[in-house]
Amino acid sequence: MAERSIDAAGRHSANVIEIRGLVNQFGAQVLHDGLDLDVRQGEVLGVVGGSGSGKSVLLRTIIGLNRPAAGDIRVLGHLTRELDDEASRRLQTRWGVLFQNGALFSSLTVAENIQAPMRERGDIPRDLMEELAGLKVRLVGLPIEAAQKYPSQLSGGMKKRVGLARALALDPEILFLDEPTAGLDPIGAAEFDRLIRSLQQSLGLTVVMITHDLDSLVTICDRIAVLVDRKIKVGTLEELMHDPHPWIQSYFHGPRARAAGVAAG
Amino acid sequence: MTDQPGWIRLTQGRDGAVLQAGGAWTVEHVAELDRQVGSLSIEAAPRALELGEIAAIDSAGAWLLARATGQGEQREIPWRNLPAEFQPLAERVLAAGPVASAGGPRRRTISDWVADVGAGLEQALAEALDLIAFFGEFVLAAGRVIANPRRFRVVPLLVHIEQTGINALPIVGLISFLVGVVLAYQGADQLRQFNAQFLTVNMVGISVLREMGILLTAIVVAGRSGSAFTAQIGTMQVSEEVDALRTMGLDPMEVLAIPRVTALVITLPLLTFFADLMGLLGGGVMCVLLIGMTFDQYVARLNDAVNATQFWVGMVKAPVFAILIALVGCFEGLRVTGSAESVGTMTTRSVVEGIFLVIIFDALFSILFSILSI
Repeated sequence: MAERSIDAAGRHSANVIEIRGLVNQFGAQVLHDGLDLDVRQGEVLGVVGGSGSGKSVLLRTIIGLNRPAAGDIRVLGHLTRELDDEASRRLQTRWGVLFQNGALFSSLTVAENIQAPMRERGDIPRDLMEELAGLKVRLVGLPIEAAQKYPSQLSGGMKKRVGLARALALDPEILFLDEPTAGLDPIGAAEFDRLIRSLQQSLGLTVVMITHDLDSLVTICDRIAVLVDRKIKVGTLEELMHDPHPWIQSYFHGPRARAAGVAAG
Repeated sequence: MTDQPGWIRLTQGRDGAVLQAGGAWTVEHVAELDRQVGSLSIEAAPRALELGEIAAIDSAGAWLLARATGQGEQREIPWRNLPAEFQPLAERVLAAGPVASAGGPRRRTISDWVADVGAGLEQALAEALDLIAFFGEFVLAAGRVIANPRRFRVVPLLVHIEQTGINALPIVGLISFLVGVVLAYQGADQLRQFNAQFLTVNMVGISVLREMGILLTAIVVAGRSGSAFTAQIGTMQVSEEVDALRTMGLDPMEVLAIPRVTALVITLPLLTFFADLMGLLGGGVMCVLLIGMTFDQYVARLNDAVNATQFWVGMVKAPVFAILIALVGCFEGLRVTGSAESVGTMTTRSVVEGIFLVIIFDALFSILFSILSI
């Protein structure tokens, strides 16, 4: 696997994300209670859990959209709650997020959507932004003509690809994906999985993906994090298969899991 | 950050010119790298790009190098000695070529502009026809409900009466009162020059009853209730609730439009009556303060100046305006397609069209009344 270039200096440890003792609660409802999680350099980590177990909240907490009640989050060596505005903006350019439905700006074209994060940087010449946007469009496997279209003219699968291209606009080190294959047909979902894997390998990304898609877990995830009992259990597919927890058992041994070839592996 | 920014330069080796690049070719330094690549002269026809000293590279950097070496073109310059760990990324970026920019939008010409005007007109006409067709459908649905009154939905009607009527009282009252004040103030000021200040009462009475009360109320209601209708129905359209209604065999016209239109037909005349009262009150306060008549005198004078006809001329317009506003609100709401943006667009349009139609019909009423010499 490609080593992340900037890491050559060994500036941060092998864990790109370290979460310790995370507590999230809304009113009386406690979603996360002392949750720990490490995400390793260059891996694809799948996050699974029942509906309402707080997968999306976990993601939103890591990327700073949600302030936790307690706990430490260290991303790329920076303790997020201690960063000032400027530093946290700089940190934000080092990760990209693909939201569930793409969250494309509907009044902007595909190219303009991809350029939005570049524009924010302020120092990239216009022509170069056009070129880089074109490159990202091609990298996610879309024809260059798609660049001038508006999101409403795209299919669901294309929107996800554009969302991915926008997430990659500033060549981030970490990619967060919220249910990347939800709403895609099985063929489109498999293609998207392959795209994520190949981009992850060639661009040297670390990927954290929330998913319900067992096929994705089997085919592209190096490790799986399961949200159960307000904490997280992490392991490879093999390890989790033998975990005695009833939810994990029924998740990895249900009929859908068998269909995805989990049991066979 | 601490990485040394990338560099690229032309060097003369034993076997001719060679491009050399090194350092961090990453998006952080992309503006600087773009300048370096742009100022590079490849007149010397370098034989290769030497990449042994690259410390870091990402897709933006690889793209710039690809452009510098004319990848995918005739005079392609081969890459050499790229560290193995960067090989997959380079291949990926080169595979995404041929190197071509996405291209900016086409420049607009005058003929585009003329075409836009034509398309706009065509769209406006089509929309007017659609609105008339919608009115026809509404009449049919209303006929069905009248023939079978059990199908009428009472609870939504009451909800809409509360929302469009009772909740609108403060704003309608305040605006009418202030307009009454302004009319009296301006009128008294002008009429003083003719020593006819007492005619202020006639002016306030007639303009409030015939025009101001109903027009202001209709505009406020178009702004707050017409828009609300569009937004409510539009949101239901986005979340496919309207489609769900249809699949259950319920007619959206009957379920959504009829209660709203009926509610407005009931509340707009009542609001207009309230606005008339407040307008006259505002005028009265000003007459007392400015002209020095007592309130009793104002009321007596008003009684002489206006008659029931003036009141009814204003009032008769209310149900017509109510139907216009509510119909346009429901019509635009049902035209919402898919996105949240469309809800906003249609809501704006609903308010603009509602007010436009109200004023057009007000003018038509004026013509009608002058023909009838009322």
